[in-house]
Amino acid sequence: MTSRAALATRYPAPVLDHDVIAKVLSHAVDHGAEHAELFVENRGSTGLRLEDRRVEDVASGSDAGAGVRVMAGDKVAYAYTNVLTEDSLLEAAEAARAGLSTSGSGTATDLRQVEPEVRHPVGRPPLDVEMSEKVSAIQAADEAARSAGAEIRQVTASYSDVRQEVLIANTDGLLVRDERTRVRFAVQVVAARGDRIATGFEAPGHSGGFELLEARPPSELGAKAGAKALRMLDARPAPAGEFPVVLAPGTGGVLIHEACGHGLEADTLVKEASVYASRAGERFGSETVTIVDDGTDVGAWGSFGVDDEGTPAQRTVLFDQGVLVGHLSDRRSAEKIGYPPTGNGRRQSYAHLPIVRMTNTYLLPGPDDADEIIRSVERGVYAATFAGGEVNPATGNFVFGMSEAYMIENGEIAYPLRGANLIGNGPAVLGAIDAIGGDFDRKEGVCGKDGQHAPVTNGMSTVLLRRMTVGGTEA
Amino acid sequence: MSELLDLARSVCDRAAGKEQIEAFLTHEKTFEARAFGGEIDSVSSAEPRGAGVRVVDGGRVGFSYTTDLSESGLTACYEKARTNANFASEDEAVVLAEAWTRPPPEVSGLSDPAQAGVTAGQKVAFTVALERATKSADARIRTVEDAVYSDSEATIAIATSTGIAGTYSRTDAWGYSVAIAEDGDDTQVGFDFGLAHGLSGLDPDALGRRSADKALSVLGARKIDSARMPVVFDPYTAGQFLGVISSALTGEAVQKGRSLFAGKMDQKVAGNVTLIDDGTIAGAPASGPWDDEGTPTGRTEVITDGTLTSYLYDLVSANRDGTTSTGNASRAGFKSGPGPSPSNMAFDSTGQSREQLLLEAGNAFLVQDFHGVHSGANAVSGDFSVGATGRLIENGVLTQPVKEVTIAAPMLEILSGIVAIADDRRWLPFGGSFGGATTLIAEMTVAGS
Repeated sequence: MTSRAALATRYPAPVLDHDVIAKVLSHAVDHGAEHAELFVENRGSTGLRLEDRRVEDVASGSDAGAGVRVMAGDKVAYAYTNVLTEDSLLEAAEAARAGLSTSGSGTATDLRQVEPEVRHPVGRPPLDVEMSEKVSAIQAADEAARSAGAEIRQVTASYSDVRQEVLIANTDGLLVRDERTRVRFAVQVVAARGDRIATGFEAPGHSGGFELLEARPPSELGAKAGAKALRMLDARPAPAGEFPVVLAPGTGGVLIHEACGHGLEADTLVKEASVYASRAGERFGSETVTIVDDGTDVGAWGSFGVDDEGTPAQRTVLFDQGVLVGHLSDRRSAEKIGYPPTGNGRRQSYAHLPIVRMTNTYLLPGPDDADEIIRSVERGVYAATFAGGEVNPATGNFVFGMSEAYMIENGEIAYPLRGANLIGNGPAVLGAIDAIGGDFDRKEGVCGKDGQHAPVTNGMSTVLLRRMTVGGTEA
Repeated sequence: MSELLDLARSVCDRAAGKEQIEAFLTHEKTFEARAFGGEIDSVSSAEPRGAGVRVVDGGRVGFSYTTDLSESGLTACYEKARTNANFASEDEAVVLAEAWTRPPPEVSGLSDPAQAGVTAGQKVAFTVALERATKSADARIRTVEDAVYSDSEATIAIATSTGIAGTYSRTDAWGYSVAIAEDGDDTQVGFDFGLAHGLSGLDPDALGRRSADKALSVLGARKIDSARMPVVFDPYTAGQFLGVISSALTGEAVQKGRSLFAGKMDQKVAGNVTLIDDGTIAGAPASGPWDDEGTPTGRTEVITDGTLTSYLYDLVSANRDGTTSTGNASRAGFKSGPGPSPSNMAFDSTGQSREQLLLEAGNAFLVQDFHGVHSGANAVSGDFSVGATGRLIENGVLTQPVKEVTIAAPMLEILSGIVAIADDRRWLPFGGSFGGATTLIAEMTVAGS
């Protein structure tokens, strides 16, 4: 283990003592703002990428900065700097308060440091792992993927780790630090046969250290992505029309994220831009449908100790046995709707204002048997991997592309499909859930909103959707 | 701000032995305002700066970035890049740009001289006016989900130990709004934006009206029966489509087997149209005197009268193909190393106005929005299958709004089907700068009910 002292030199903690923090906060509310907050971030990262059998990118970076946010009534002003000196922070505080035309004098409560209740253990801190071991990992994935078959044309493998240290202090007297270490590994494989090209992709990640690669060995990930690319070479054009659709465990969770989660983010609710606005208490699905957003799930990719406004991570039930019961909020939107914040205020970095984001969003396991679900379908589509999706929160309408899909015929997975996408409506899809298996799994991703990216997890078991529109090229 | 260039040079002075160093520094001033409900909602301002350093030694390259521009911060950054180079694969194609033998092109219109005098108050007033214009465009606009103004004033500097030293400044300003229109049970969303080099180039009333119109024009949309028919892309969707195929038009994508254009050089890949990439167009969003590894920018014909004539290159990919860089290296910012991507890419117009093109289309489907492009479009395989919203065109006139249909065809088929491109080009920022113009495609499958 590297000593704490050695770590401190490599990623120095912000040199801000309580006095400086208190001074910046008082300065920020000096002209009558109701609330001020200081967010300090220190981020160290490593990124490796192999393509075409070459280790092309070996990168590391350090990014430090701080932002001051002031609020008065419905208005917010923010200023940030990446020069972490007292003068520079006071300047940012002044720039922020200048953004609000308030007068009088606000007050700052004395700071009291609190500790996050949830910690996400880091087995092998990525900083302690030699660069050569990280390089070996991407090479192992490349090797395994290329061994999958002669038709493998290209392999891209990448590794990234991030250690983010944040400090959040505000005029309510809150002072809290959180550390987030995340590791992600990705393999993309391209296979070709004549003019036909197909791809396979695996990209696990977690909140934790290098031990991710013990649980998910790079060679297995490479082999899996390679096998998938090869399988998809045989894909036939997807049919267009209405079919029963079976969602594979893990990947199908993106449907819940996009079609249900985004519409329950309180900023969208406040703007009445959500199809779920003012519909709490309404039934959307059967009693087997329970959906939660859980930032406390230990070690999950979208987890943290406290959110980027210092609110503890929490588990929020969104749909309880089919009934809409919850929403997700940050401090601002929570205040507007008159509920306590749910710990979903996240920001990409100190250069961004916090906004409402999901963390790990799960459709909880159900009572049905996964194999039985597939056997129950006479003719339908098995959605094994979604390539991503898009939803319109105002209408709930969505489209998801499938990068791996299969035709189900007579209760069996018959052959792979290409060019398939799933078209539908969020609230309607919850009602279309006919069966939920017990084989829960997670898939990690990066969610974009208002130009900011956040690590999120989607989770679900095998699910049967009664009838969905599948977009494809064959009538 | 030659101070930034001095800093870049100071990093390169550290070069020892055979190693080569490149330092890329940016210093920005940014401002953003958001309005909601007729009032300002948030303002944000900052002055971010940073450095990205590459060290090349014996065909191995290492990269590191930092926000700490102090002497010790830059030294630490250089040392990390130096160490990282030891772990990269050796590749003789990896080099830094050579010193300029001719001066880089003079590119005009990168900055709006008036922008420096624009106050925060004027920017806030613009944002509120944009929100109000979007809301008040029509009684059926229920709410304005977003109304945003953003700008940046940036200085970029690059220096290499091989003798390059350059710096330039630019100003950019953009605004967008998202309108939600409602009529009975029907809800539709409309989004549009404006792109300029300063506040003076943006018109809040016209922009708000455009966002509102996009939502209003598809109220009452319904599915149509599946059919094969001519399809017209609006400038917005045409630009988006160009953004998708552009990633396959770099030499790198071809070399690495992730391009649908691999092996298609000198072959017919599109209708009789010409596609250019030009980093020197006055006032275009991605213009600049040199690219992000210091190579002077220029104009490249990618497709000439339907025939594929060139890929786009940065230095490494050009070396691999035994050719020269087309000046298409770009970075997401100082935090990343360079890679090839388009600068300002657009099809030349075939001469018609939009009205003439719609008449030529006769009975067709006008695509105003794609849905699910990032998952349904694959520039490696060339598969393109996305959701679409738009209007029917009947006898050249826009009629019934359409939603929840899918359009699907291989990308090469779509390109080959292009028969006309109108003269209404606008620049769109879809991960680059793409010229979108109303585009007529002979026939595609539109899958509805």
